[in-house]
Amino acid sequence: MTKVLFVCSGGMSSAIVVNTLKKEAEKHGQALEVKAIGSSEVAAELENNWDVVMVAPQIKHRFDNIKKEADAHGVPCGPIPPQAYTPLGGPTLLKTLQELVK
Amino acid sequence: MGKFIDFLEKRVSNPMARLAEQRHLLAVRDGVVSSLPFIIVGSFFLIIAFPPLPESWGITQWATENADQILIPYRMTMFIMSLYVAFGIGYNLAQSYKVDPLSGGQIAVASLLLTITPSVVEELGFVLPMQYLGGSGLFVTIIVSILSVEIFRICKQRNITIRLPEAVPASVSRSFEALIPVAIVIMLMTLITIIMGVNLHALVEKLTVPLVTAGDSLFGVLVPVFLITFFWSFGIHGVSVVGSVARPLWETYLLKNGEAVASGASELPHIAPEPLYQWFIWIGGSGATLGLVIVMLIFARSKYLKSLGRTVAVPSIFNINEPVIFGLPIVLNPILVIPFIITPIITAVIAYLATSVGLVSPTFIKAPWTLPAPIGAYLATGGDWRSIILVLVNLAISVVIYLPFLRIYDKKMLAMEQNEEQ
Repeated sequence: MTKVLFVCSGGMSSAIVVNTLKKEAEKHGQALEVKAIGSSEVAAELENNWDVVMVAPQIKHRFDNIKKEADAHGVPCGPIPPQAYTPLGGPTLLKTLQELVK
Repeated sequence: MGKFIDFLEKRVSNPMARLAEQRHLLAVRDGVVSSLPFIIVGSFFLIIAFPPLPESWGITQWATENADQILIPYRMTMFIMSLYVAFGIGYNLAQSYKVDPLSGGQIAVASLLLTITPSVVEELGFVLPMQYLGGSGLFVTIIVSILSVEIFRICKQRNITIRLPEAVPASVSRSFEALIPVAIVIMLMTLITIIMGVNLHALVEKLTVPLVTAGDSLFGVLVPVFLITFFWSFGIHGVSVVGSVARPLWETYLLKNGEAVASGASELPHIAPEPLYQWFIWIGGSGATLGLVIVMLIFARSKYLKSLGRTVAVPSIFNINEPVIFGLPIVLNPILVIPFIITPIITAVIAYLATSVGLVSPTFIKAPWTLPAPIGAYLATGGDWRSIILVLVNLAISVVIYLPFLRIYDKKMLAMEQNEEQ
């Protein structure tokens, strides 16, 4: 079970993308635990043993700060490609995830 | 074109986005945002006290007779918002400096309270006037919260604190660490308010009048509207950047309008609280993209846009439009960026004019932003049915503006799909 932390501005829009990613992973027989949160909750949430942090494109101006927090906890962290941030972006999302966890 | 976009991104968009990441602005934003639940719940008591129902109904008459009691939860939340905001700013700023956030919040609240002079009322004893704890106190709140946390932080970093032996429990030693900074902050505020007799609120109000007036003008509405879609055109969350600067103004307007309603005024002082943007300008999310989604659902012929339209329709009704912005994409898309920026400017002008000439009541209630626009608009205006018409008119306008651009883009997509099939 891979634990994925999704970060967007308020945690609302990424909920949609979370479902897309989960469905795509299911197709490939991979079990995921995914949680969507707002950017202000990152520091606190990182205490809870996540495997990977994925950051939504609309807060790319905050990416460096989030990456720093994730690095401090030794968690791989990467941006979600803009084209993947839609209900149709499943394949790209899963690929991005797999590259980050590797 | 590519060079121009590069230039905009490097020289304009990125520096401004970084500015919004500035520590103090971020703390102010998060502090104000943390108080939103209280603003939302508090403002609903305004609806209960002044229900959007015919005056002859029994429930309306009951509400009018008991308005003072019904409004007590409002007075303890939205009406004294600055108190909650002070704690929020103090907490967040202290946290960003990695000093004790609880002490930071408390110090900020103490500073704010010390800007007000209690008076003695017979039978009641000491009474704290609430006047400056509401919307009008927001600017002083920001200033004193930042100032007092800075003092706290500097004391801590320079080791101007009382250290207890390590055997003392952490919670006890933490509170002792705040002792000297708290003493400095309280003495400073006492000096200003009581010994020097300065009314910070009156002073700051005088200084901020031009700002408050400007933000409530048509131009003051169009600037944030343009900037927000401008940022989104580069894929940056516009409201989260622009809002960190504009939100204190937006909240001031909202609270002042709420205060006017609660005191029974017939006219509301401000046109541009955030719900004006939320319900009349951004129908379906920044860029008024619900109109675009409708166009996509009805007119798109390419497979991609057809299926995208279906998957984003429901979130769009609830004002979640990141899938639209990134999915089409609108980001860095020279065809769709044009209506994305123009549409909200037009809907903003219409909404502003309709409100300022009295065709629609100004907004004074903060409804959750994920409500569908007509419902949100109806609630935000305290039950003005004309607001629903304004929403529908602006929605229709957005459909008309998006239509030709989507057609052009759709043709392009269709051609691409046909090429791939061959």
